[in-house]
Amino acid sequence: MSKPKGVYDNAATGDTSFRRTWDRDEYAHKAAERQAQEAKERKERYEAKVAGKKYLPKLDANINVKEFDDSKMVEARRDRIRLDENLNKVQIVPFGSTGGRRGKGAGYYCEACDLNFTNSLEYVEHLNSKQHLQATGQTDIVERATLEMVRERLQWLKQRKRDQNRAEQFDLAKRLAERRNIEEEERIERKERKRVKKEEKRREKLKANTNSVNLDDTQDRDATTMARMMGFEGFGSTKQR
Amino acid sequence: MSRTIAPDAKAMLDTRGLYDGPTIHSMNPLLLMEKIIRERIIDSMYWKEQAWGLNAATLLDRAVDLQYIGGQYANQKPTAFICLVLKMLQLNPEREILLEYLQDEDFKYLRALAAFYIRLAWPAAEVYKTLEPLMADYRKLRLRTQAGFKLTFVDEFIDDLLTKERVCDIALPRMPTRAQLEDMDELEPRESLVSDVEEDSDEEVGEEGEVGED
Ligand SMILES: [Zn+2]
Repeated sequence: MSKPKGVYDNAATGDTSFRRTWDRDEYAHKAAERQAQEAKERKERYEAKVAGKKYLPKLDANINVKEFDDSKMVEARRDRIRLDENLNKVQIVPFGSTGGRRGKGAGYYCEACDLNFTNSLEYVEHLNSKQHLQATGQTDIVERATLEMVRERLQWLKQRKRDQNRAEQFDLAKRLAERRNIEEEERIERKERKRVKKEEKRREKLKANTNSVNLDDTQDRDATTMARMMGFEGFGSTKQR
Repeated sequence: MSRTIAPDAKAMLDTRGLYDGPTIHSMNPLLLMEKIIRERIIDSMYWKEQAWGLNAATLLDRAVDLQYIGGQYANQKPTAFICLVLKMLQLNPEREILLEYLQDEDFKYLRALAAFYIRLAWPAAEVYKTLEPLMADYRKLRLRTQAGFKLTFVDEFIDDLLTKERVCDIALPRMPTRAQLEDMDELEPRESLVSDVEEDSDEEVGEEGEVGED
């Protein structure tokens, strides 16, 4: 039995989609994964039943919606059906392939039913049809939600929102802090450059004015300039890196 | 009530005049929406793709993604909001479930959706009693119309639901005014803080004219 998820795997692929190119190894790998997951769920459902409880899929803020799979009944689509894949692409249309025809062609192809659709609406209608549901081991019966199911879902969505907000805020705070650091560094560098330039100017002026200045004085000034350039001076006024 | 539901509205509409499911205001709930817009919804991509197979729990996934309220936009395309209203008419959620939607503080469009449904489906006195407390919710809502986006607020939207005949391109079921219901002893006069504020601002609005009116 394939899961409802299978429904979404049928969207027509690239512009050479009429060529059957699927990778058998990957297909086998996916099938094995799916079987393992189904077995796990069957076990959980069985255990719940033995315990006289209703099986509920694990609610965990870290899992994504895809992992909600509580029954073989039809569920809401978990992903958007990928309908825009072939949009704006020039496609080679094999001879004789039009909407709802057998075999792969341009547009949307349903692997399970081996049918091809030229427009997205027809394709989605097909995915909703009894014929397709039957072919993919699904029914068109939806379980009515109880108040508990609604509460649980809502709590999960609220938690997801909180997590997303927190992640965004953290991200924003991090980026702002990084930005601030960069700006601060740039500011200090600018200040230093200015100071050094000023100092040089002053020194040149001094040199020009007093050619006969004593040696110690010049050395002193040089030392001060050096110290400033190295950042030894002014620790109190500028932030440490 | 049945444990299962249909994935779409087909069975509920294809009754050949012999509808025997649950009713709202003694009629097939889906008929609360006029035929023309109902058909546009049912033909829409959103309905077929996103609203198909929902129940009252999975509907939340869609409701929390809503970005705006509204009826039809652009070239008479139904909004996701109005599609979900029709979905709710099909699902006919229990009272407690609707209150769960309505009372949630995190998702304002879920609240707007529940409020709209309650206005469509519940008896008049219940509508006033349940929706009036939301007049204290001043959060912004985006409203999408044929003419583009507009800014509105939860309290303004609730006020529209209680006083206007059409909201979001849907004709609302006729409802007595609050004063009429008070006269019939179906409603106690309001005594909340909100009601005081309301009465004060009512006088002012009278001078300015109906600003929000189309
Ligand atoms: Zn199919």
